[in-house]
Amino acid sequence: MTELNVVERVIALEGVDLLQNLNPDQLSRVASIATEVRHPGGQIILQPSVPLDALYVVLDGSVELSQNGAPVHTAKQNEVLGAWGLFDGEPMPLTATTLEETRLLKIGREDFFEVLSDNVEIATAVFSTLVKRFRRLVG
Amino acid sequence: MRRVRLFWQSVYDVRPGERARTFLMALHMLFVLFAYYILKPVSRALFLNKFEIDRLPLLNVLIAVCGGMLAYLYTRVAVKASLQVAIYWSTGIALSCLVAIWWLLQFEFGWMLYVLNIWVSLFSIILVSQAWLVAANVFNSREAKRLFGILGLGAVAGASLGGSFTALVARMVETRHLLLASGVMVILAFGALMLVASLKNVNLKSATGAESEEKFAFSDILEGIHKHKHLQVIMGIITLMFIVDVMIDYQFSALAKVAYPNKEDLTAFLGSFFGLYLTLVTFVMQFFLTAIIVRHLGVGGTLQIMPVVIGTTSLCLIVMPQLAVASVVRILEAGTRYTLNKTGMELLYLPLPAGLKNRTKAFVDIFMDRFGRGIGGLVLMAFSALFVAPGKQPNARQISGLVIGFCVLWIGLSVLASRAYLSTIRQRLASRRLDLSGVHLAVADAGTIQLLERQLTEGTPRQASYALGQLAEAAQYEVAPLLNGLVQSPAVELRRKVYEVAGATRYAGLLEPAQRALEVAGDGPEQQAALEYLISTAADTIVTPTWVAQAAVDPNPQRRALAARAIQLRGSDGDHHLGRLLEDPDPGVREASCRAAGTLGDRRHFDTLIRLLGDRTVRGAATESLGSFGPRICGALGDILAAPTTPAAIRRRIPRVLRLIRDQQSVDVLIAALGGADSLAVLKALNRLREAAPNLAFKKDAVFRQLGLEAKRYFEMGSSLVALRGWSTPRTAASLLVRSIEARMQQIEDRLFRLLALRYPSAEMYSAFLAVRSRQPEKITVALDYLDSTLDRDLKKFVIPLFEGVERVAKNGRDLYGIEVPTAEAAIRSLVGSNDHWLAACAMATAGERQLRAVLPDIVRAGQQSFPENAAVAQAASALLA
Repeated sequence: MTELNVVERVIALEGVDLLQNLNPDQLSRVASIATEVRHPGGQIILQPSVPLDALYVVLDGSVELSQNGAPVHTAKQNEVLGAWGLFDGEPMPLTATTLEETRLLKIGREDFFEVLSDNVEIATAVFSTLVKRFRRLVG
Repeated sequence: MRRVRLFWQSVYDVRPGERARTFLMALHMLFVLFAYYILKPVSRALFLNKFEIDRLPLLNVLIAVCGGMLAYLYTRVAVKASLQVAIYWSTGIALSCLVAIWWLLQFEFGWMLYVLNIWVSLFSIILVSQAWLVAANVFNSREAKRLFGILGLGAVAGASLGGSFTALVARMVETRHLLLASGVMVILAFGALMLVASLKNVNLKSATGAESEEKFAFSDILEGIHKHKHLQVIMGIITLMFIVDVMIDYQFSALAKVAYPNKEDLTAFLGSFFGLYLTLVTFVMQFFLTAIIVRHLGVGGTLQIMPVVIGTTSLCLIVMPQLAVASVVRILEAGTRYTLNKTGMELLYLPLPAGLKNRTKAFVDIFMDRFGRGIGGLVLMAFSALFVAPGKQPNARQISGLVIGFCVLWIGLSVLASRAYLSTIRQRLASRRLDLSGVHLAVADAGTIQLLERQLTEGTPRQASYALGQLAEAAQYEVAPLLNGLVQSPAVELRRKVYEVAGATRYAGLLEPAQRALEVAGDGPEQQAALEYLISTAADTIVTPTWVAQAAVDPNPQRRALAARAIQLRGSDGDHHLGRLLEDPDPGVREASCRAAGTLGDRRHFDTLIRLLGDRTVRGAATESLGSFGPRICGALGDILAAPTTPAAIRRRIPRVLRLIRDQQSVDVLIAALGGADSLAVLKALNRLREAAPNLAFKKDAVFRQLGLEAKRYFEMGSSLVALRGWSTPRTAASLLVRSIEARMQQIEDRLFRLLALRYPSAEMYSAFLAVRSRQPEKITVALDYLDSTLDRDLKKFVIPLFEGVERVAKNGRDLYGIEVPTAEAAIRSLVGSNDHWLAACAMATAGERQLRAVLPDIVRAGQQSFPENAAVAQAASALLA
């Protein structure tokens, strides 16, 4: 399977809640730092003991999220894993295991911060999303 | 054909969805004026025939007194009830009165002619004023500017038909029977209004004259007028207008009575005068001139035309006091009043808040009309008593002199009206912005001093630092004795503050602890404060060149950073350590070195600082340092900005440097860079420069040219958007393309308003931008009103049509620039070949997704020419189309 081009990566990123305030042009800049990663079925990709350093979008395949061994959700195409890993290194309280061969789009925290520091409009849009979410929480 | 269409639109521009409302409102105006122009010549001819001309001023005073009372009663109904209920009442009363007066006139009582004239005058005011009030609620202010001219046209047609009808029928039937014909017109006018009320999106029931029934009182209205200068100016203009009207009418009536002593001849003359001559002039003015004049001269200019015209023609009447000249003056006075002035005055109300407008408009219109006429009557009576021989009447020359005097006052008020109009719009825009003001603490009294001293010992380190800072600034407070004790504090934050205060007060008692602080490894706030203190009090003995040289090569990066700070604070780099420190591998050292280089302003470090603009860790410091170099580097910065080989990361920072240099050279360099790759960054820098240094010149031609280019680009994007509209399936390349075009248009809006802010008040332009960006029609209307009143005429032509809604963009683009809406395939092809890499990528992906095989050659070509990311997209699209 060929790698996604920039347009396809942007389409995949459109479902990320954290990036919802970005316009397509800005998303393309985030897409430019996104990389594709492939995992065979049955591989643990996130676990509570390992700090998060990236956000993942499921491109193909499926990922089971479980807590203490009990499945709580199965993430499929276009769903996002570890969205807030971009902002803090706290591990997810869940374990993510691929159920089949799975292709993910990964955005590393360091790369993301570089994009933010180079594009104040993107930083503004992301902050705006965070503030809205915060208001919802306290309101 | 396009020119004809454009000309027609430049005069009248009725858009889809507005036709029924416009037609029915114009029809309503026609019937109301038809009714009035039957009553007017009949009542005037009967009065002049029965009484001498000296009774006319008395009639005006009676109209004022009775009108005032009726205005109060009408306003009570208008503000307490819905507009629709007020219409029912006024129509019912008007019809009842018509029938009653018609019946009473057969008895030929002299007093009935006073009653008739008073009632006719009030009839016109109530029904006409009410019609315009309805119009103001049926149309928003943007629509009103385009469509009120057509309503005025309906009014003029009604006046023409009514006057001609009277002149024709007056000799066929008994005069009083014409009142019944007038009643029929009132019923027809009511019917048209009910049809308007039944239209979708029209709700006269919710339009009330008061915010709540309980709060309404006569004093409420007076208070509203007292508070709003805008309303006061409106009242002043209306008063002067009717004073002048009374005088001109007096001149005209007196000369007509002399010229036509016979009742039938006088009725026929008045009917023809009002129905033919007056209407012909007003019709021509309304049809050909009013909309164009309002558009070009604005509200203020339009309101000045009437007093200027009357003043000029009154001069002619002084030279030739004849009925023909008086008729011309009367025609021009009435003609401009019904057309230019009426439209201008209605527009003058529009920026007022809806509640205030509805609450007071009916009252102001009715009362000030009567008041003005009453004052006019009193002025005439007083003038006759004081300056005219007993038993005689003032002649045309004397009256004309008075008229000219009032016209001068009127012109002055029109200028004020224009300013008040703009001021009100500004206030409405500003009211949508949050205004935060700072809080200032002044330390003066003994109680505050004691509180601060207590904080030094009992407070947290932050509170103690704050208290120390406040005490240091307090007048006549000796802070030095406290410092030796406080420098022993375990809190770094407080110790730092102690060194700062000691340095600022030149207190030399802390040299030892400061020196010890420098020996501790670190480049923290305490070390920096201690270094600054030592240099400010004992630079030559402790922080010597030798100390700097040793620190500059210290393996510890924090010591090297301190060396850079020492160079900065000492203001010299005699041994040239800074060049090496700027290249230091540690970002903290580089940052401190950048600041030192900025303070020294040594041109040898210019290239290094430019290179450091691309270094994410220190670019902020490098930017500020370059800014410290001042205007002498503007030319070099301009060259770097324009050079195609300059790395993007560095080029993007150049405008930030320039905005720190508040000099004309910065502006000129940035203006020259408009339209380049980093337009938004350039504009942000220009906006900041204008804010910081309003005296700098921002070349009008260059700004306007760029505005034109941006507007054209916006219309091109809009046309592409129209071509692709409907391609909105989520998570497809097509929908991504559509949203990308919308985003581009928003970016152009941003740049347009930033450009406008270089020539017009920036805070208000920002408010207008927010209003446009809100996409809420009411806010956009206020913003467009402001732009319409503020922008140069050349700009209005293409700036305002940009924001008239997406559905108008394509049409406006075609009218203004000849940009036709392309087919979807042509739009895609054009975007594939564009220089906008992102739009090209989206367009290629869309072509593949939509199987637009005809675009394949363009995609292959673009894939070979564009940058690597797009080559992959082109390859994928080509594979789909192969």
